[in-house]
Amino acid sequence: MPRPRPSSPYSARSPSPMFTLPQKESRKPTTCPGSVSTRGLHSIYGDGLEREAARKPDQKLLYGVGDPTAMFSSDSPHLSSRGSIIKWFWDSAEEGYRTYHMDEYDEDKNPGGIINLGTSENKLCFDLLSRRLSHSDMLRVEPSLLQYPDWRGHLFLREEVASFLSFYCKSPAPLKPENVVVLNGCASLFSALATVLCEVGEAFLIPAPYYGAITQHVYLYGNVRLVCVYLDSEVTGLETHPFQLTVDKLEMALQGAISEGVKVKGLILINPQNPLGDIYSPGELREYLEFAKRHALHVMVDEVYMLSVFEESVGYRSVLSLEGLPDPQKTHVMWATSKDFGMSGLRFGTLYTENQDVATAVASLCRYHGLSGFVQYQMAQLLRDRDWINQVYLPENHARLKAAHTYVSEELRALGVPFLSHGAGFFIWVDLRKFLPEATFEEERLLWRRFLENKVLLSFGKAFECKEPGWFRLVFSDKAHRLRLGMQRIRQVLEGKSQVAEDPPSCQTQEPRGPHR
Amino acid sequence: MPERAWEEGGVEGGNKSAQQIWILILPLRFYSCATLPKASNFSAPGVISKRSWEHGCRAELDGARRDPAVSASSVASLPRARATRAGRWLLWEGGPVLCPPFFRPLTCAFSASALSFPHQEGKQGFGDPFWRSHATVVVVGAPALCRRGSSQPDEAHMSIQSRSNPSDIPHMSDGQVWDQASRNHSIHTCLMEMVLSLQQAVADHITQLATRHQQQDLVPEEQGHNQPIWGQEALLGRLMFQMVNHLQFGATGGQKFQPPCPSEDSKGDVRSREQAQVSKQIYKIFYQLTNFEDTSINYVLSNRGVETSALYHGSFQDYNTYQGNKYHEDKNTSGFINLGTSENKLCTDLLTERLSRSDMNYIDDDLLQYSDWRGQPFLREEVAQFLTYYCKAPAPLDPENVVVLNGCSSVFSALATVLCDPGEAFLVPTPTYSDFVFSAHLYAKVDLVPVDLESQVSDANTHPFQLTVDKLEQALLNAKLEGKKVRGLVLINPQNPLGHIYSQDSLMEYLEFAKKHSLHVIIDEIYMLSVFDESITFRSVLSMESLPDPNKTHMIWGTSKDFGISGFRFGTLYTHNKEVALAMSSFGYLHGISGITQYKLHRLLQDREWIDNVYLPTNHSRLQEAHRFITNELKSSKIPFLSHGSGLYVWISLRKYLDPCTFEEELLLHRRFLDKKLILSCGKTFMCKEPGWFRLVFAATPLLLKHAMQRFYTVLVEQEQDWVVKQLEDAINQEVEDLPASDASQSYSREVILTSGLEGCCSDLGL
Repeated sequence: MPRPRPSSPYSARSPSPMFTLPQKESRKPTTCPGSVSTRGLHSIYGDGLEREAARKPDQKLLYGVGDPTAMFSSDSPHLSSRGSIIKWFWDSAEEGYRTYHMDEYDEDKNPGGIINLGTSENKLCFDLLSRRLSHSDMLRVEPSLLQYPDWRGHLFLREEVASFLSFYCKSPAPLKPENVVVLNGCASLFSALATVLCEVGEAFLIPAPYYGAITQHVYLYGNVRLVCVYLDSEVTGLETHPFQLTVDKLEMALQGAISEGVKVKGLILINPQNPLGDIYSPGELREYLEFAKRHALHVMVDEVYMLSVFEESVGYRSVLSLEGLPDPQKTHVMWATSKDFGMSGLRFGTLYTENQDVATAVASLCRYHGLSGFVQYQMAQLLRDRDWINQVYLPENHARLKAAHTYVSEELRALGVPFLSHGAGFFIWVDLRKFLPEATFEEERLLWRRFLENKVLLSFGKAFECKEPGWFRLVFSDKAHRLRLGMQRIRQVLEGKSQVAEDPPSCQTQEPRGPHR
Repeated sequence: MPERAWEEGGVEGGNKSAQQIWILILPLRFYSCATLPKASNFSAPGVISKRSWEHGCRAELDGARRDPAVSASSVASLPRARATRAGRWLLWEGGPVLCPPFFRPLTCAFSASALSFPHQEGKQGFGDPFWRSHATVVVVGAPALCRRGSSQPDEAHMSIQSRSNPSDIPHMSDGQVWDQASRNHSIHTCLMEMVLSLQQAVADHITQLATRHQQQDLVPEEQGHNQPIWGQEALLGRLMFQMVNHLQFGATGGQKFQPPCPSEDSKGDVRSREQAQVSKQIYKIFYQLTNFEDTSINYVLSNRGVETSALYHGSFQDYNTYQGNKYHEDKNTSGFINLGTSENKLCTDLLTERLSRSDMNYIDDDLLQYSDWRGQPFLREEVAQFLTYYCKAPAPLDPENVVVLNGCSSVFSALATVLCDPGEAFLVPTPTYSDFVFSAHLYAKVDLVPVDLESQVSDANTHPFQLTVDKLEQALLNAKLEGKKVRGLVLINPQNPLGHIYSQDSLMEYLEFAKKHSLHVIIDEIYMLSVFDESITFRSVLSMESLPDPNKTHMIWGTSKDFGISGFRFGTLYTHNKEVALAMSSFGYLHGISGITQYKLHRLLQDREWIDNVYLPTNHSRLQEAHRFITNELKSSKIPFLSHGSGLYVWISLRKYLDPCTFEEELLLHRRFLDKKLILSCGKTFMCKEPGWFRLVFAATPLLLKHAMQRFYTVLVEQEQDWVVKQLEDAINQEVEDLPASDASQSYSREVILTSGLEGCCSDLGL
């Protein structure tokens, strides 16, 4: 069935409040809704998206031009306007995370603390990693590591990264070290790419739901926005699975953004997808790349979960493995050790691009995204150790991920909760829509609070710009005992909650309480 | 009016070819360190002989191709353009070149050979401070453009437009102050020209299409287009791009408009006496080499991306060259010696030993996970204690006020972002640390308003480069008059590059000044433990009992200099302002430090015993020794310098070697040092107002320093010789013109003077 084309394109928020700092860089004299401090009239959770959805329940949102500051309200005497917004980012986005940090679960010291199934971290293989990183070959200290480096990254590391990616991405030809730029994590990479590819106020397309932190990464310095390509859980027409990304949807979102006067410079793809766990087939990937080429868009492919595909039946293909990319000069690949090696605290990310202009421009910003020489050395040692990776680390990591995944999916089935998962990544995309008394993001947030009150931290769909309220991301890559406890707490909330949904009066009396309060 | 001059030229020529102006943008690399022709090959300053030009082209062509912002066509065409000329090219050296955003349309314009060049735009572009400090621009004009050109119509001329005005200091500022009228005028004229060109191009295109259809209307749309039509379309595309870019550029008001200086004054305005139709040839070359792909590649990056690249590579080119060819005692004795980057390499042995100890190699789950983005709590606590102790804070500092990021550049960049909106400004006494100039500009887009200090000692200036409140007031007032919004004051203490230490009283005065105008004060104390002269007492701002405005005083420190571990990437902010600390935390994502590194730093800072008993005494005594060596050398060669017993550098004046004393000459001297594989930092990069100052880093091993000083002297001797030769040539030329008589006696006397001159300068240098 062809998607109903709306007579007039409408956006998540209309009129789209374009964020313009009081500055001269802003190229567009239009839609500047006054000073930033006057905005933020929206209620805390009820933003445009929700109102739109509520008002037109039949029509589907096809895209939305993101406005990271829609809910921004406070201004500070000591900070600049953008400084106030940046602080507000910190205050709002980190809420759950900070609550968690104040009350972290610890088996012995704080058994009643919060279990974090919200942050996508692999906590299953610290033993392997600690052992490997304490190995004597890691401990070399050389004077050159103490001094200012080549800002692209030490050559020895870039060589290692190139050969590592050639091997694991199965590239048709060996990748070149000069196309590699090393920085302190993919967040920095998003920031740097946004800055060098876009002007202030321009945008990237991104299929939503997506890893929400990207919004902030591209916005903080770059002032670049994201145009969401909304995907549906409902399978319609020729689609084969929920939340399927099609070229039609990309086209429509792009046209919609253009009609609003937003200049789109690129497309961000996350493969394996976060939070859906989808994997794009080579055919799909090529279609998206062709689409981007048609519209002269850059494509940033974030493959940060590429080695966390634990289901062997899933044939994952890196974009670097494709023969004859449609537009190699505009295809930029990111990878990091945060997920695949479970070392998010290590801050190591890398860019692979054949475009020397882009590589050089990103490297110019690496002054601000530098990585300690030691860590560079250790990373080179780690990536070089193919034996350990292939024979020890990857098999063990995959086996543990699989076990954890099996446990959590069994639990969810037992609870009668629908979910999506494709054997990749650390998370399951859980459909809790039936637990919301009303399909609003407010209710979603309330449910999330309930989880938090019951000492389990999840991520709610709104944080991923999912347009349907009621989806949650549940991270399963944690130790068995914590996972068990976490699932138990989730069950408590849902069982309490599901009763609520079926039998509203009892909700007042049977407020779910965790056993540890 | 310079525009008049051009227009007159056009009228004189009176035909279409007269309006063609070719602009070649030469990357600095064309005659960067390795290939810069020796000054002896120069027939006059800035003139390069054919031989050295070829040499430069050959050696650098590959490198330049890879250069992001130099379009392939412009680079590729250079050697050929050169080949068409037998004689000399006069090149104006202003510094490294890469295309800033607004230049992209120009590159296109000259590639699109059929265009008449929008010269007003060119002038505006080159009048821009950026260009004046970063450009090597050769304008090759058609005959009519050379006002003093010979009467022969087919003679080719080249005129070089230099916008380098010695008295101007490059601002990194985006002025909003430029004359509205002239701005509008120039944009208008440019646009008109573009529209006309576009009109012409469209007309041509249609004609071509029409003829083509007549020729072969059988297959209307097979295979798309043939070559000429394709070329036409490319041209149209470029024109459109150019116009759009120009509109955007004009609309942003981001560039400071500088009325171009009249070409009569321009040192480089010469004409060539060479034969032949150069312009025609160049025309051909461009036409052949121009290819839409080549030029469109630049559009991959955003304007700010191109600018970032340009700014960075313009400024760190020497550093990159150094990275590729470092001096090594045994392995590479002909490599570059870097006394330009302020790094302490005297204590690597101590640090290597300390960092190899077993307590450093601890790995914990926590270190591998996402941490608090402000920095691991254990590190922030350690930093608070460390600063309490070494800054002698009256009360223990609060770990909650500590933000930890990967380097002081990052701290400054993030801080500038949260304190200023784009286009707002900080006051900064100059000369100042060049990195702040970039950090303010690259991400944060914050301007720096220089508070120019003078070397001359006077009543108001009791010591060279003294900072006084009067000067601050004056600079602030000027900035306000120019419509700049100043949000803060940046101080470096101990000062870089001067080595000054602010006394507590003067510091207090500056802080009071800031409070009076409600300015933030960012005070960078990154050299606080590198005060090696014991007679000097350094007082940190954190040691003050009561700060005038604690909520607006922010202190930056890092381990890069004091511990000589710049490769560690660690910088920290201490601020009493919780809001600022929280806003800074958002940048933890982008400027985060590895958990493992955080742990090592924590151990290092914790080991007070090692720091106090081993590291600091050794470091200071080694710094003293190196400092003594350098200052003795400088004294014996009578080179004036400033140094105050702190920091890793001395600030030296080489003004007497510059003739005339301009920034161009400073840059030439700098290149000469590079030629001899010695890297120093020249005063201009510190935004110093007076040409001729250099910063020399002495924190290197004695052997390296000795080598470096040898190279240093060689250059100075050469410089003096050249000066003498030039004086003589000038004198001789003068005489020849005055009195064209006996050649023999001329050359004789010349030789005599030359020899005696050389002896003189050698003895001056104590050689």
